[in-house]
Amino acid sequence: MPVLYFVGSILLLLGIWTLIAWGNRNPEATDLVERYPLPTPLMTLDVLSEIFANPFQNDPDVKGIGTKLIGSLMRVGIGFGLGSLIAIPLGLLLGSSKFMMSLINPIVQILRPVSPLAWYPLGLAVFSAAGGGDGLMNPSSKAAIFMIFICSLWPTLINTAFGVASIPQDHKNVGKAFGFSVWKYIIRILLPYSLPHIVTGLKLSIGVAWMVIVAGEMLSGGDGLGFFVWEEGFNAGKTTHIIVAILIIGIVGFILDKFFSSLQKAFSYDAK
Amino acid sequence: MMQNNYATPQAGSSMDNSDKQVLAKMVDSASAFHKVVAQPQTSVSIKDVTVSFKTPTGIYTAVKSIDLDIRKGEIVALIGHSGCGKSTLMNTISGMVKPSSGEVIANGKRVTGPGPDRGIVFQNYSLLPWLSVYRNIYEAVDSVMKDMCSAEKKDHVEQNLKMVHLYEHKDKLPGQLSGGMKQRVAIARAFAINPSILLLDEPFGALDALTKSNMHVELLKLWNLDNRNKTIIMVTHDIEEAIFLADRVVVMNNGPAATIKEIVDVPLERPRNKKEIVHDPLYMETHDKLLSLLLDKFSIEDEVE
Repeated sequence: MPVLYFVGSILLLLGIWTLIAWGNRNPEATDLVERYPLPTPLMTLDVLSEIFANPFQNDPDVKGIGTKLIGSLMRVGIGFGLGSLIAIPLGLLLGSSKFMMSLINPIVQILRPVSPLAWYPLGLAVFSAAGGGDGLMNPSSKAAIFMIFICSLWPTLINTAFGVASIPQDHKNVGKAFGFSVWKYIIRILLPYSLPHIVTGLKLSIGVAWMVIVAGEMLSGGDGLGFFVWEEGFNAGKTTHIIVAILIIGIVGFILDKFFSSLQKAFSYDAK
Repeated sequence: MMQNNYATPQAGSSMDNSDKQVLAKMVDSASAFHKVVAQPQTSVSIKDVTVSFKTPTGIYTAVKSIDLDIRKGEIVALIGHSGCGKSTLMNTISGMVKPSSGEVIANGKRVTGPGPDRGIVFQNYSLLPWLSVYRNIYEAVDSVMKDMCSAEKKDHVEQNLKMVHLYEHKDKLPGQLSGGMKQRVAIARAFAINPSILLLDEPFGALDALTKSNMHVELLKLWNLDNRNKTIIMVTHDIEEAIFLADRVVVMNNGPAATIKEIVDVPLERPRNKKEIVHDPLYMETHDKLLSLLLDKFSIEDEVE
């Protein structure tokens, strides 16, 4: 059954897409591309073979779609990984100490609403001044990683702190009554209780990070799916390429989300 | 818990002579001999304890100027209406609540916090839901029994599980157990750290009547196995439970600022038989006495009306 719903859902999407493309058609134009400013699903299907002809081509001036996807994933992975590495311990600290929470919370509340894109120029300015590298390590790529790092901090930080702060008194009493050491309290009570909250935070963070990377790479240029959308799609006048990129971004985002959902399930003790 | 305490000289002095005679039949003669010569020893001493809490509407005094001495090996029930501060009073013994004034002495030492000499069975079991039955007990044993090697700890945990008949369920998570089974895990956990004082906070309150009766008998069996050396202090609002289990029943006044209304001795010999005991005139007398102590407030109101 779930498979049937999935197929139905895809058909519905293709149907709506076709309708809109057809409604926007330009009847006077003879050329297919000019006739449909929004390409139809079939036209998009036609360019797939072209786009996927050599996905992992990695020459200095021509990069395949696969190479670009890997570039995007690498930046998200590094930024998200570093962000989580900071956010989880900091969240544990904020959740367990009222003092630290009161001290740090205003910073979080002020920086959290800032659009991740606003961090990009700041990163670029600092990393450019520090000098460049190649590929992932050039200043604009580093700035994109920095932006992902910042935006994937908040959901993990807030969820972790909330998880730790909401440990029921009953569980704490067990630790007190049976003389648990600090270490035992952390690994047997604090972490098991907060883990589902931490994973929820990670799931939200990766979602934001994957959304933001596309915008970031439009700014940074050179590599990644965002660059593909802008350069090979819009600038090259190939709307089909934009649509293909959107589909790839959507599918990869879906897979990332599914992955973290399965982690969530694995770490929640109620579900077992 | 299974280790031999038979030769402990300061044991079980709480019992009167008839209790001792019964005991002589129950356990081996050496231990009975020691019990007869033993001097009474205070296990818990509550001295002029007052507990107040800060609330948004001002200071709330839960219990006021409580004095109570509990002998080693004695079973004492704290009974009273909901919110009379009986749990608060018990938490001053466990060390979870600090008295605002006065002090609690347990095993000769002033209570400043929870300690392994006082095992607690919480009202809502308080098992860690992500740990198996075995791990729940193991973690407590691991924390308290520091001089055991890990094989000894494993043995000890399994022994305690067998004692409450849960060995077959040792790998289950608490969520897979019934209320009675969870309570047995909680009791096994408290017994496993071999405390000299056992504190039970309405331990059987959430259980159905049948399970409850079984648990009473199980608890007394465990207490007997340990040669009646453990002091047991329990909070309850169940008169039958208090009489069946306790040597003395402490009746509390209604809060706020609750005090001890009266301490009622339970003059029933041990071992007590759940079925026969209710026909004992002494049982009925004690039951009536407790009931009127707990209900007199209402009857006065009735008369006024």
